[in-house]
Amino acid sequence: MSPGPGSAGLYVHIPFCSAVCPYCDFAVTVGNAAARADFVQALCAEIALWTDWCMPIDTIYFGGGTPSALTTAQLTTVLTQLHTSLPITAAPKIFFEANPEDVTPESLQQWRGLGVNMLSLGVQSFVDSELRSLGRRHNGAQARRAVDQALQIGFETVSVDIMFGLPKQTVESLRESLLVVQELRPQHVSCYQLTIHDGTTFARWRARGKLTELDEDLQADLYGEVHTGLQQAGLHAYEVSNFARSDAHRSAHNLKYWQHVPYLGLGPSAHSFDGEARWWNHRDNRGYIEAATRGRKPIAEREQLCAADLALEGLMLGIRTAEGIELQHFKQRYQVDLLALNLALIEQLIERGYLQAKPGWLTPTRAGLGVADGMAAEFALE
Amino acid sequence: MKNVRNFCIIAHIDHGKSTLADRLIQACDAVSVREFHDQVLDTMELERERGITIKSNSMTLYYEAKDGETYRLNLIDTPGHVDFSHEVRRSLLACDGAIIIVDASQGVEAQTVANLYLALEHDLTLLPVINKIDLPAADVERVREEIDEDLGLDPYAAIPISAKNGIGISEVLEGIVEQLPAPTGDPEAPLQALVFDAQYDSYRGIVLSCRVRQGELKAGSKVRFMHSGREYLIDEVGYNGMHREKTTSLPTGAVGYVITGIKTIRDVTIGDTLTESARPADAPLPGYQPAKPVVFSSIYPMTTDEYPELTNAIEKLALNDAALVYQKDASAALGFGFRCGFLGLLHLDIVQERLKREFELSLVLSAPSVLYNVTLKNGTVVDVDNPANWPEPSDIEQVEEPFIKASIMVPENHLGAAMTLCREHRCATIQTNYLSKGRMEVVAEMPLGEVLFDFYDKLKSATRGYGSFDYEPLDYRIGDIVKVDILVHHERVDALAFLAHSDKARGRAMHYSEQLAKSIPRHQFKIPVQGAIGGNIIARSTINAFRKDVTAKCYGGDISRKRKLLEKQKKGKEKMKLVGSVQIPQEAFVSVLRTDTP
Repeated sequence: MSPGPGSAGLYVHIPFCSAVCPYCDFAVTVGNAAARADFVQALCAEIALWTDWCMPIDTIYFGGGTPSALTTAQLTTVLTQLHTSLPITAAPKIFFEANPEDVTPESLQQWRGLGVNMLSLGVQSFVDSELRSLGRRHNGAQARRAVDQALQIGFETVSVDIMFGLPKQTVESLRESLLVVQELRPQHVSCYQLTIHDGTTFARWRARGKLTELDEDLQADLYGEVHTGLQQAGLHAYEVSNFARSDAHRSAHNLKYWQHVPYLGLGPSAHSFDGEARWWNHRDNRGYIEAATRGRKPIAEREQLCAADLALEGLMLGIRTAEGIELQHFKQRYQVDLLALNLALIEQLIERGYLQAKPGWLTPTRAGLGVADGMAAEFALE
Repeated sequence: MKNVRNFCIIAHIDHGKSTLADRLIQACDAVSVREFHDQVLDTMELERERGITIKSNSMTLYYEAKDGETYRLNLIDTPGHVDFSHEVRRSLLACDGAIIIVDASQGVEAQTVANLYLALEHDLTLLPVINKIDLPAADVERVREEIDEDLGLDPYAAIPISAKNGIGISEVLEGIVEQLPAPTGDPEAPLQALVFDAQYDSYRGIVLSCRVRQGELKAGSKVRFMHSGREYLIDEVGYNGMHREKTTSLPTGAVGYVITGIKTIRDVTIGDTLTESARPADAPLPGYQPAKPVVFSSIYPMTTDEYPELTNAIEKLALNDAALVYQKDASAALGFGFRCGFLGLLHLDIVQERLKREFELSLVLSAPSVLYNVTLKNGTVVDVDNPANWPEPSDIEQVEEPFIKASIMVPENHLGAAMTLCREHRCATIQTNYLSKGRMEVVAEMPLGEVLFDFYDKLKSATRGYGSFDYEPLDYRIGDIVKVDILVHHERVDALAFLAHSDKARGRAMHYSEQLAKSIPRHQFKIPVQGAIGGNIIARSTINAFRKDVTAKCYGGDISRKRKLLEKQKKGKEKMKLVGSVQIPQEAFVSVLRTDTP
């Protein structure tokens, strides 16, 4: 964890998808053209309400849903509003998520034209049967073509999203996808484990026995395979789920979450953090639009963080990063002496191979990254 | 006195005792329609839910008979299950007669016979009743034969009824008046009143149920408990209707309630005799026979801070459950609790359920055990029911375990299954008796320890629910009993140790280690779970090291959700019991100790 906040980040949630995937529990809807137009209007209204945000913003992340569900004109409108109302720095890094089926040479050119630096493609897998089981609308060949085209257009960073722990997935089938990554050589990969959230179609299937989660050992094997496979593609873990060719290709926006740096979230369900408090917007589109167009910030809830909350977050987030936590910095920032409070535990974790023996730091090993949350739960903070 | 009848209803479980009681109460109008709900006597929620009567209870009914006279009928309810023969005994002491119910389709069952003998032991006059004659499977004539052959009662005196449909109820009431005797006793003699039940009333303190054998029990008089020697002033006496009906005195032959202002539970012993302090009787009534527990288990609160609540609850329960014995106990893993003695497994189950429901406690119970007689090499003999007190194996000369005479009644076609089951449970002898057409009795001498776990359930499933089971204690016999320790990550978990016959030790140890391995979450290191006799490992399972978190995407910066999950996880860890370096969730203890062994 590097010390000190630089500038804040900005997250914009675009809640539309061409269909809702059966595992997805994000704030997402299909929505027709009219709904999208209404949303853009509401989003601009929300942006305009934030003129009191004074921390400079140097990263803008369009997530969702699928930002590629909006037209270039709509995206331009949003960007213009952002520059008008918020203290955006001179050359902000722009991050943009897109689905492979929305990728064409034209669309890529348009996004490039909007100033997108890092394009994240929701590939999930290059194996057709896995894509079908996830309810995705693209196949392996389309995904491969989309990544290839994006790399040729010349974004600073092209990132590929991969999922593991899919029902019926094997080490071999995961390896197939990783081999394609090695071949295509994107500069960045985000690799998330499938989580079955309550209320999703997958959760209902699981309840009915139509779907079983992989056991912990296989999940761990798959995770190990992700590291090995991506290493061979020249990609190194810098966080539990994120891999980059070099420091320059790391997601400067997402790093802000893990480094406990403030960020403003706009759009339905988006979360914000100002260093002392967290708040989040209404999750449903209608509630969000209604509040924003009436000139009220569409905030659903707000949470003031006490010193203990902040320290717990600092620990939980820092230990997810490959770099880890610098103990001296942690002590200065949170007034918690992790070393003094957890001496025996730290020794044990080093002995068990979860932490590296690196004086002054809590740096997870590869095995440690797999159990970062579990480790965080072990530490005493008072 | 000639217009009083004190009687109870005895029956095998589920033969319709409570339903008949309800009909009698209704027919006598003791309860207004608005107040009437089925099974009035079964006041405990648990009783009503399980359809069995756990606690005795009494009620006074006023019946206008065909002879034009009004009779005071004191109906004393009794539990039907074998575990509660102690309570049945107490109830019988208050009665002069008994209605014995036989199910028209199932016929005479093991407990019907057991209760019949109890009733005869107390010189009760019996009135047989054949219930459920409305059922399609009812076979009244066959049941009459069984009443003749198995019970030795006059088959033609039996009244066919359907308590459920209200058929034959007036005949039963007439039968009570005509065939059951009125109480006897000298009204002028010094007072002797048997205390056969007690309840705790939060306003009035302790309310006793008494049967006046001789003399008169007057409000305002001073009485003495003949066994404990304690003396009290009587505040109030009366009859138990749906509500208490206060009177000035209870005459000879009466069954009613007594309030004395006793506040502490320990001052009352059920079975004691009340006499007048000023003019005491020569001797107490028979009936003071402390129940002997045969099954033992330690009860711990789920969280250690609930110990005071558990203490209070056990004391209150023990007040009207004279058979429950308890003493303070402590476990390294589970903290303070109580070592309790029970009449049987159902009794244990009921106590546990009552603690949970009536007192809203969450509990962990150790594996039930019987009482072993252990002879040491130095010649001394010790009684051990608790694995914690088991002597060093090298000091033990021999161990004796309690045996029972099990009586199992089954339809002929399930005889083989019942016999196999007995053999699997180490029966010493086994014999079969032909009871009546299609019905057999298996009599087996077997260790009590063998029926502690799931014998009854297995019998039920092996005989499609037709098998009935009863037992009586027999004697103590030499057995190869060992103490099995359960070790988690090489640390002994005291609360999980158990005593077993060496033939059964390995199977149970395997079951324990497998269950624990399933319910203890993975740790950052590999955890062996072992069963051991002394230093000898007889069973082993392994909990693999924890390797992968579920790392959900903390999308769009939703850190709050993640932090809250982590806080929950941390709290969960605090609640777990720490054994060595392993955190064991309470549910693991519950799952291991509840599930039945092979």
